[in-house]
Amino acid sequence: MTSRWRPTPALARAVVVGAVAVVAAVVGAAPAVMVLGAPFILVACFGLLHRPDTTPVLDAELDQRWLHEGQGTTSRLLIRHAEDVEHVARAMAPTPYVALHPPTGLVAGLADDLPTLEVGPRRWGKRVLGEEQVCLTTPWAGYRWGPVTVHGDAVRVLPQTRGFDSRSETPRPVGLVGVNRSPRLGAGIEFADIRPFRPGDRLRRISWRVSVRSRELHVTTSPAEEDSGVLLVVDALGDHGQSGGLEGAASSLDQSVRAAAAVADHHIRSGDRVGLRIVGGEGGLLGYGGGIRHLRALFDLLAGVRPGELPEGIVKRLQLRVTGGSVVFVFSPMLGPAIVTATASLVQRGLPVVVVDTLPPDASPRVPDGVDPRLVDLAWRMRRLERDQVLAGLAGLGCPVIAWRGAGTLDDVLRRLARRATVPQVASR
Amino acid sequence: MTLISQETTARLLLRLVLLGAPVLALLAARPEELPHGWFVALTLVLSIGFAAMPESPLGTACLGLVVFWWALAASDGVPVGAIPAALFLLAAHVAALLLSYGPPALPVGRALLGRWLRRSLGVAASAPLVWLVAVVVDDQPEPPGIWISGMACAVVVCIVAATAVTPLPEQPE
Repeated sequence: MTSRWRPTPALARAVVVGAVAVVAAVVGAAPAVMVLGAPFILVACFGLLHRPDTTPVLDAELDQRWLHEGQGTTSRLLIRHAEDVEHVARAMAPTPYVALHPPTGLVAGLADDLPTLEVGPRRWGKRVLGEEQVCLTTPWAGYRWGPVTVHGDAVRVLPQTRGFDSRSETPRPVGLVGVNRSPRLGAGIEFADIRPFRPGDRLRRISWRVSVRSRELHVTTSPAEEDSGVLLVVDALGDHGQSGGLEGAASSLDQSVRAAAAVADHHIRSGDRVGLRIVGGEGGLLGYGGGIRHLRALFDLLAGVRPGELPEGIVKRLQLRVTGGSVVFVFSPMLGPAIVTATASLVQRGLPVVVVDTLPPDASPRVPDGVDPRLVDLAWRMRRLERDQVLAGLAGLGCPVIAWRGAGTLDDVLRRLARRATVPQVASR
Repeated sequence: MTLISQETTARLLLRLVLLGAPVLALLAARPEELPHGWFVALTLVLSIGFAAMPESPLGTACLGLVVFWWALAASDGVPVGAIPAALFLLAAHVAALLLSYGPPALPVGRALLGRWLRRSLGVAASAPLVWLVAVVVDDQPEPPGIWISGMACAVVVCIVAATAVTPLPEQPE
């Protein structure tokens, strides 16, 4: 792409009007015309004096390339060889799910204080900002460079995690160290029981008050505190409903991704190990792990989710490969047979599985061209009836199905699962 | 109407300046030298086009027409009305220039506006100075060779004008 400095229409106007005034004054012997022409001659001379001889190089840069939904960053223009530039104007094309400030995407300013644009993505995913038209002008508006197209920068938008917190413990902690009460006794801090002293007990666990009263050494016991394995399964087999960004309506995939991110954030901050499995689209698998770095990788995987069908061969033999002792959260609208079958098989194995229903209540399918909308509506109603049966079947198997409501969504379910985990169960294989 | 609704107040004011300043520059002459109604109407039509499209050649035509009329009307003497006329023309030029710094909806920056106000004041000072010089030399006998020098000056101005409006060679970005 090439560009060049061009004289502005303003310079041409000043030169022509000044020349007309000089010629008219001389030819018409009218010195008064020189009074009219003098300011134009000066403006033209100053414009010509600032004739540029450099070649500016333009680039736009974002302050942050990784953002959460709702956060904002600044797009800055970088100009090399800007010695001849006095004024800069920028016009950024609108981008879906990206809010601009100012909303028109138009900013301008002098070169010593380059204009910046504020950018705020409103939906998770990879967002490539719209192309920018940049126009540079020399002092006295003599010459103009551009408008030149500057390609938009890409920003990775991570799902929002706000709005979820849980006070309940994760059922079946089987790890090493964590914050969840284990069914086993160990070196925790919460009181569990008092029993007679046995060889091997630590001396600091002796309860002197009880020992004196009973004249026999007693020790206090406490449940071990262990971390738990949490597997998040995100159904990306389709995206149902309209997505209006952060403040607007949420599609099924919006709900799934945001809810999975919120649950992952909560559990990793609680010290649990969290894994992620994307079903559909380009897929994706992230093993169990903990810590902020793992959480970042998890968000990154979630931000890259794209809806898409599974290959034909995989649909019939979809397996989520869950290890025993894990808690499984399935974020799905439960409209695909593959994900329903895989979830049911996990429940039958006796694993604690929670289905988070992410289908928006007002979701409706797109009506293809040439198809009667009433027919589509009827088919959709039948499909929803089938889905209700599937959800009732899962609930009958002992798998709680809940709608995502943000904070406290999982509390009651997790408490019930934790209670159930303490009683003996018969797992069917 | 959509275009007008997108405009900021500052830009609308600048367009009003474009609309009125050329006509006011015509009417700044003495009452007995005022132009015919059709001439004023022609200037008004051109200034409407100038206000709508500040970067179009209509602006040059509009301002050139006013200068041309002043050459015809003020061939004898140096009327003081030439000074406000010059200021009106300069105001129209600067208003068009400020409007053409970017796309139609781009607001005019405060810093840019201030800078051009200062520049305009500096440049506008040349009008009364030239008027004073013209008044002083108006009654003097013409020095020999003044018209040849004037023609040479006009030719130089035309060459500069031709050079100025020629685009610079293409440079790799």
